[in-house]
Amino acid sequence: MRSKIKKKNEFFELSKFRRRFTLLVLLTLFCILFSRAFFLQGMQKDFLQQEGFERSNRNIELYAYRGKIYDRNNQILAASETVRSITLEPNRVDFKKGEKKKLANLLGMKLNTLNKKIKTKKNHIYLKRKVDPKIASKILALKIPGVGSEKDYRRSYPDQEISAHVVGFSGSDGNGLEGVELKKNDYLSGTQGYKKILIDARRRVVDNLSEVNVPIDGKDVHLTIDKRLQHVAFQSLKKTIHESEAISGSAILIDSKTGEILTMVNYPSFNPNHRIRKRTFVRNRVITDMFEPGSTMKPISIAAALEKKVVNVNTKIDTGNGFYKVGRTLVTDTKPHGIISVKEILQTSSNIGVTKIAEKLNKKDLWQTYTNFGIGSFTGVNFPGESKGVLRDHKKWRERDHYSASYGYAVSTTIAQLARAYTPFANKGEIKNLRLFKNDPIKIGQRVLSIETSKTILKMMESVTKEGGTAIQASIPGYKVAGKTGTARQVVPGGGYGKPGERKYNASFVGIAPASNPKFIMAILIEDPTKGSNYGGVVAGPIFKKVVSEALKIYSIPQDDIEIFNKVEVDNQEEI
Amino acid sequence: MKLNLILFLLLIVFALLKINAHHLYRVNHHSLEIEKQKTIELKDERNQLLIEESSKSGNGRISEYAKNKLKMNPPEKKQKKLIK
Repeated sequence: MRSKIKKKNEFFELSKFRRRFTLLVLLTLFCILFSRAFFLQGMQKDFLQQEGFERSNRNIELYAYRGKIYDRNNQILAASETVRSITLEPNRVDFKKGEKKKLANLLGMKLNTLNKKIKTKKNHIYLKRKVDPKIASKILALKIPGVGSEKDYRRSYPDQEISAHVVGFSGSDGNGLEGVELKKNDYLSGTQGYKKILIDARRRVVDNLSEVNVPIDGKDVHLTIDKRLQHVAFQSLKKTIHESEAISGSAILIDSKTGEILTMVNYPSFNPNHRIRKRTFVRNRVITDMFEPGSTMKPISIAAALEKKVVNVNTKIDTGNGFYKVGRTLVTDTKPHGIISVKEILQTSSNIGVTKIAEKLNKKDLWQTYTNFGIGSFTGVNFPGESKGVLRDHKKWRERDHYSASYGYAVSTTIAQLARAYTPFANKGEIKNLRLFKNDPIKIGQRVLSIETSKTILKMMESVTKEGGTAIQASIPGYKVAGKTGTARQVVPGGGYGKPGERKYNASFVGIAPASNPKFIMAILIEDPTKGSNYGGVVAGPIFKKVVSEALKIYSIPQDDIEIFNKVEVDNQEEI
Repeated sequence: MKLNLILFLLLIVFALLKINAHHLYRVNHHSLEIEKQKTIELKDERNQLLIEESSKSGNGRISEYAKNKLKMNPPEKKQKKLIK
């Protein structure tokens, strides 16, 4: 029997079983694929989309630069600088021998502290924020897995403690906490931007996924401060405080014509570049701290009397033997002056003389003059923490307040208020508000004194810095200087001025230069000078001389009279 | 039939061109991002230099250098000569 030879198509034809089996396998595979696709796209859709999104999408914050703070000559007083924050991923970290110690040393932290940080359960922590870029690069050079760095910004103050009280400082979040940084925080801050980006597998930014929200940088602030004079004032103040072993000191120099503040310094100070631990000397005492101004109020009291025409410059007043009893209050002078003119009362700073002048004025007139001169009101400087001073209503004055106010007790002012109170003498009777910000509009001065009286007082105050006056130390060779000293007792806690021998004094001086055409007014306060003299002229006068001499040089103010220069300064000099 | 084939080929070509354009866009975007980053870094560097300039030109530092390194001192009264 001949076997049947299969044809080609018959040869490849599967048996019924095989066909069905193959179909079943294919169907099963298809079902598996379909169910997997259903599982992934239907049931795990959100999770997977989220995972994919997180891997390829990033939200990036765009840094808005905080504005810089400049002085009047565009010198930087505060700006933001780049620093690094050292990060750690505790899950990934792997230290080789000795690396942990090196890292701790570079971070400036103890090994135990570093160990504690490493043991945290978080995925990402900051080991140290705002690290110097040079130190950060040393840390990164160790190439420790899991240790990285992020860019950050830190506020830098190149003027350090010199302008610290004016500029202030900002916190770690970049927001201002003191001074101009606080006052102009909104202006300086700007608005952060952000953008959503797409990154590829190699972490390259390949697309923007939404509209970019562009950051708006903070605006710069320009101050009226002159950094050069600020330095001179600070150094002079520091030297005086150390030499006189005083507690503290403050000084302000203003442009008498515009009210612009050129220097505003305090000592002791602080370095805003470092973390502020003690806040004792952080406040700007020029505008926050009040004190009884003492004799520096006398020109204002005499101005009130001249305006009311109760006295004139040559009116003779008997100051007796240096003791004068008004009610139950004993008014004293440092030495008996006898019968002296109003001009000499100011020159010798006679308390009795001014008291007798104040007797001729009623309380309201005296109070009104002080109010017009800005005692008890803000200076217009618009600075955080400014104090208004204390000037009680004349109706609430006790009898002795009437007299003691005339020589600067029973009223309290800040040193900035005192500087402003002298602007009418330098501006033909017009008081000028103080300005610290260049962009603030210049306000027109308000007339509080007649031109004649202001000129008379200025002339009288010139005698204070001349032979026989109380502030010869404040005289500047070549220039006419007007001024007034103040040596006032400090109020002790609980009231009163303490027992004789235990009393503390505030030495002050307010000066105007050149008196012929006033340009600068400087007010200085030294709190409790204990070594040497405690008189305002002796302690604060030299600071005025040093700073204002420099200011006159820098601003090229012509000398009044070369003869004065020859006479005073060139005594021992050889002529060629 | 021929037209369909041509259209199909065109479709393929344009699809490839689109992919290429998209790729080029991403490459250029990446370059742009790098440039932007450089701008920020330069801005930071400029700020840093301004701060450095401000602190190094400070009057305190200059007077310290003048006194300590250059041994400069203000003349005393006897050393001053007035030219008339």
